[in-house]
Amino acid sequence: MKNRLRVLRAERRWSQADLAEKLGVSRQTINAIETEKYDPSLPLAFRMARLFVLELEEIFQPESVP
Amino acid sequence: MHESSKSKPGTTLISSYIGAVAVWGVGRLLIRFSAESQWLPTWVHAVVAAASVVPLVLFAFWLRRMLASDFDEMMQRVVLEGIALGFAIFLTLAALYLNLRAGGVYVPRLDPPDLVLGAAMLVALGFAIAWRRYR
Repeated sequence: MKNRLRVLRAERRWSQADLAEKLGVSRQTINAIETEKYDPSLPLAFRMARLFVLELEEIFQPESVP
Repeated sequence: MHESSKSKPGTTLISSYIGAVAVWGVGRLLIRFSAESQWLPTWVHAVVAAASVVPLVLFAFWLRRMLASDFDEMMQRVVLEGIALGFAIFLTLAALYLNLRAGGVYVPRLDPPDLVLGAAMLVALGFAIAWRRYR
């Protein structure tokens, strides 16, 4: 799954550690999501959407839309 | 252990697990060496045997607490994948070992503790592989 997390974080001038702290996860988890090695759970994805005041689809997109 | 486990959870998990298993392994080697050479009395063997598993007991309590509250979802997944991967490799090697022994091919004789140590080290390898995948 693709995501715009790195861009959204950079726009707010947050470090990975800042975002990790706001979301209650480790910095490594943020890095793994940004590099698309790990897809977050729905609860974590919703926390991200709430934090960035965006819809889920504005942060995450499937690899290929049928 | 607690502060670094929050900042570097994967590294702390792997290093503390390998450290605990290593202490157990050293204790076991000491007891075996001493038992064969009759170097230390039996009561010392008992003390070393109990002391060498203390780090593993501490690791078990620490892991339980981390899984319940401090590890985030990705670290919980790393632990699960690590254990599953370690067990799968252990099962494969155990099956190969049994077949080779049944076929009369030379294989080293392994005691149950050797097998446990092997499985423990493979779980550590599983942690490392799973952690590396998400880094």
